[in-house]
Amino acid sequence: MPKDFLADYPQDPGRYDEMLGADGQPRPHWRALFAQLLEQPPEAMREHVRAIERQVLENGVTYNVYADAQGADRPWELDALPNILPASEWAFLERAVAQRARLLNLALVDLYGEQRTLKQGLLPAALLHGHAGFLRPCHGTRHVADTMLHLYAVDLARAPDGRWWVLADRTQAPSGAGYALENRLVISRGFPDLFLDLRVQHLASFFATLRDTLAQWAPRDPGRAPLTVLLTPGPVNETYFEHAYLARYLGFPLVEGHDLTVREGKVWMKTLSGLVRVHAIVRRQDDIWCDPLELRGDSSIGIPGLVDAERRGNVLIANALGSNVLETGMLFGFLPRLSEALLGGPLAMPSIATWWCGEPAALEDVLGRLHQVVVKPAFPHLRGEPVFGADLDARGLQGLAATLRDRPGDFVAQEIMNLSQSPVWDRERPRKVLGRATSLRVFACASPNGYVVMPGGLTRVAGLEDARVVSMQRGGGSKDTWVMAEGAVNAFSLLRTTTSAEDLVRAGPSLSSRVVENLYWFGRHEERCDHAARLLRVTIGRLLDDAPRDGTHGRAAMLTLLRKGGVLPTSEEALDDLALVRALRSSVTDATHAGLASHLRHLFRLAMHLRERFSLDNWRVLTQVTSSLGRPKSRAMALTDVLEELDQVVTVTTTLSGFALDGMVRDAGWRFLSIGRRIERAQWLCDTLREAIAGPEDSELNWLLDLSDSIVTYRTRYRARPEWMPVLDLLIRDVANPRSLAFQMKGLVDSATRLGEVFGELDHSGLAEANASIDTIDPVRDLVQGSERLDALLAQWSGATALFSEQLSLRFFSHVGEAGRQTAAM
Amino acid sequence: MRYTVLHETLYTYPDSVVVSHQLLHVSPRPLAWQTMHRHQTTIEPEPGERSERLDYFGNTLTQFALVSRHEFLNVRAVSEVSVASRGGEAQAVGSQPWEAVRDLLRMPATGVEPVTLIDATDYLYQSPHAAPSRALAEYAMPSFPPGRPVHEAARDLTRRIKAEFEFDPAATTVSTPLEAVLKGRRGVCQDFAHLMIGALRSIGLAARYVSGYILTHPPPGKPRMIGADASHAWASVFCPQRGWVDFDPTNDCVVDEAHITVAWGRDFSDVTPMRGVILGGGEQTLEVKVTVAPANEPPPIEPPPKAKGKGTPAT
Repeated sequence: MPKDFLADYPQDPGRYDEMLGADGQPRPHWRALFAQLLEQPPEAMREHVRAIERQVLENGVTYNVYADAQGADRPWELDALPNILPASEWAFLERAVAQRARLLNLALVDLYGEQRTLKQGLLPAALLHGHAGFLRPCHGTRHVADTMLHLYAVDLARAPDGRWWVLADRTQAPSGAGYALENRLVISRGFPDLFLDLRVQHLASFFATLRDTLAQWAPRDPGRAPLTVLLTPGPVNETYFEHAYLARYLGFPLVEGHDLTVREGKVWMKTLSGLVRVHAIVRRQDDIWCDPLELRGDSSIGIPGLVDAERRGNVLIANALGSNVLETGMLFGFLPRLSEALLGGPLAMPSIATWWCGEPAALEDVLGRLHQVVVKPAFPHLRGEPVFGADLDARGLQGLAATLRDRPGDFVAQEIMNLSQSPVWDRERPRKVLGRATSLRVFACASPNGYVVMPGGLTRVAGLEDARVVSMQRGGGSKDTWVMAEGAVNAFSLLRTTTSAEDLVRAGPSLSSRVVENLYWFGRHEERCDHAARLLRVTIGRLLDDAPRDGTHGRAAMLTLLRKGGVLPTSEEALDDLALVRALRSSVTDATHAGLASHLRHLFRLAMHLRERFSLDNWRVLTQVTSSLGRPKSRAMALTDVLEELDQVVTVTTTLSGFALDGMVRDAGWRFLSIGRRIERAQWLCDTLREAIAGPEDSELNWLLDLSDSIVTYRTRYRARPEWMPVLDLLIRDVANPRSLAFQMKGLVDSATRLGEVFGELDHSGLAEANASIDTIDPVRDLVQGSERLDALLAQWSGATALFSEQLSLRFFSHVGEAGRQTAAM
Repeated sequence: MRYTVLHETLYTYPDSVVVSHQLLHVSPRPLAWQTMHRHQTTIEPEPGERSERLDYFGNTLTQFALVSRHEFLNVRAVSEVSVASRGGEAQAVGSQPWEAVRDLLRMPATGVEPVTLIDATDYLYQSPHAAPSRALAEYAMPSFPPGRPVHEAARDLTRRIKAEFEFDPAATTVSTPLEAVLKGRRGVCQDFAHLMIGALRSIGLAARYVSGYILTHPPPGKPRMIGADASHAWASVFCPQRGWVDFDPTNDCVVDEAHITVAWGRDFSDVTPMRGVILGGGEQTLEVKVTVAPANEPPPIEPPPKAKGKGTPAT
């Protein structure tokens, strides 16, 4: 017996154990995994755990905790051991969850329609009218296939006797299905053979069903495939990772409210090539914020007119606006009767015993046994934490009773259930497992063949040993959920395919203006980080090499550039070495200081908005550098460490440009990213060269080649000390040098022409002129230090690129900052 | 009484508005005691999209959108309407004890036609501008001694609000919360209506917000001026036996022939005369002119030009 690894595993007869039976032996469906844990060498599991941590971090799987002072992003907590469910048990869960989804959908459609459930007394009017999620403007809207609930999630828990109970329904915009998918990708790698042996059911067909159903039910334009988008409130949302992840997985453009507009009762996405009709919206934004015209007027993330578009049947919204109204524990007590009335049969799976205190009899009952229940707000809009009667002393209980008598309708009381426990791998002490309270979130989606349940789910485990509430917001963790198949693993879908040959897309029409704008700025900031890192690296390198302090060897030019970049104070006072070192260091490590760290932070923020456009490899590279620099440093770093960080940044920016060159489709998005980089590089070259030729007479030019990453090129061409004319020629006139001005200008002119061909004439005469004037340079006369003509040309080129940037912005960008505002007149 | 009502709303924008979506509640509601003879809403510039429907509460709602650049927006609603008496002050007499009404609304199961009660419970809970609170319940209670018929008690509350609050257009805006109104004891008709609604909901009664107009009287000997009036608002209180009765806390009266009903909802946000979302525009100016003229009077006259103000506050 594996005494040691179960040494700390509690065995409590008052709880159901997912892994061990009453006899202390592993349950049949656990035996294979159990055996593997025993047989494999300890290193195997350690390696598995490390691999999980690495993948979670590198894939950027995060969950935002609102109250977390550490900042928005927290790595996703994923346990090394899966939760395993045998086929027989799953068959019951599948049937029960599908039934509940069907019932809740019928209730929703009725509440937003005829309201027979109220008139017949099946549901109390208070449930509807007292719920802030009842959106009156959405009443009367007809829904295709009489479906409002497209994606449904339910939180389940297991009682000590092994029976399953419903803890909560998620009908608004259920989260977690994407995390479940990501958990699967990570965990199944750790147990590849076992995964096949146990015949674990795949998740992919569930998502295909969701996608195909939306496409089938969405309104159609003749001859065109319907466009589905995923609407997110943006990166500050707790599950933004999942929004981006699912958008990429399902192939839906990820949009924010500003990307959409309503015209003539239809929804359109603002794209580069104008407005493109949207037929279906997967909504991850709470419905009250979705339309400032008819819902909350103070919403700046809504789409004015969206309610009316849905009302007219011009867009399918999943879930339909208003579906939040069933998220209330108040519903539970009424479901058995509702099931008999609407489905003609009993409810397959019970909900945890819940009493709505608005019923006088229930209130009296609850007041008699407050110490045995947990009291919760009846509706989501009534904020408040659950209160466990058992935690209160006599005065506390009196206070609670008074509150309940004062506002009985605002509360429900729930029975307290001992959640089942499952084994969690202890990362602190390898080869030990802990027991943690467990709940299971299961997902269902509507389809023409009825509700389909995802064979798997998001198993959530409590963070602490004796936790009574399992919540990701409270530091809990998650597990992959393995559902064993009865026969062969099946991935068959009955739905017709919705993509025909004419739907094949070459250049995505679905590129929103916001994405394009962000790509452009991503290109610029990526380049900006590269320049900042190189400038700091050369400056610090010179300090360490004890180069002369008299302004030669590029010192004067570089200090001026650092001043202009805000890294050094602008005063003319000479800086001593110590102050200089301090300023340079904080520009690398402190994002509140101007310089590299703040550029990187900005770059990362842009990347967050572009998340669904990045490959995982790309993302991994980006998080490497931002996470290492973002970590708070316990002490001041040594300059050599700073240099190492700078090397890493340069490696990353180089890798990122490699990805852009090699891994991105040459669509308009790529073009904007590349324009951004070229504009930034051209401007930076102009600024740097102007400082260089204005500086004190200098014959040491390695710094300039170093800054512009051209030292190797120079050496292979000239095999001699750098001199002004060949250096300037290489950096300005040499079209073959990707770091030269000529290269940037030619590329920009080409890009402007190409954009003009696709989107209509784009004025770029300034660029063309600048490009032509490069050829007018006389190397002998102009390519020398102090040349006034060269200075004027550099100023002209820099101005031309700035003007072009402005033109792009006016013409193509969505101006994200500008929000609609509410007006009211009496 | 037969009236002609002119309700004109003019926005002027220093910068162009690029997109404008608007909802209008300016068409008087046909009712047992109110007949609409004619209504016309004219919008300038002419919107590309315009539609009309009944909203959730049964009010007429006009929705329109302007998607071409514009520098002003003028909405002119003209209505001819007749209002019959509903029985004056006598409406407040003879309702059920308020506690009985409260208990029925809380558990609408026994005795009464459930459909009527379901309709009423829609107005029982918090809404954006009229959330119940303990302070409001305490304010209401002196008017609600045990056993008092609900409409009589509401009549008393109407009187107290008029007596204890001062009409002051400078004291509040649309977004002033009820607690501030209760504390400051100042406001305009919307505030008093919300206050009364919030107080009634706080003790478990159903109350709704009614938006409309009221006939005012020019100073003795002076003619009626165009734009001298404003939109008006009051509260309505439910009794299962007697139905809804309207009270005007701004004028301390039971609502009757002098009030023209446009729309009702849970509060101002449900029936805002003109509500919208615009993109662009800058620091807009707003001018609202309302004229309520009895049909048996000579037509009202244009005021002298210098009297043009920035709109009239709601009464």
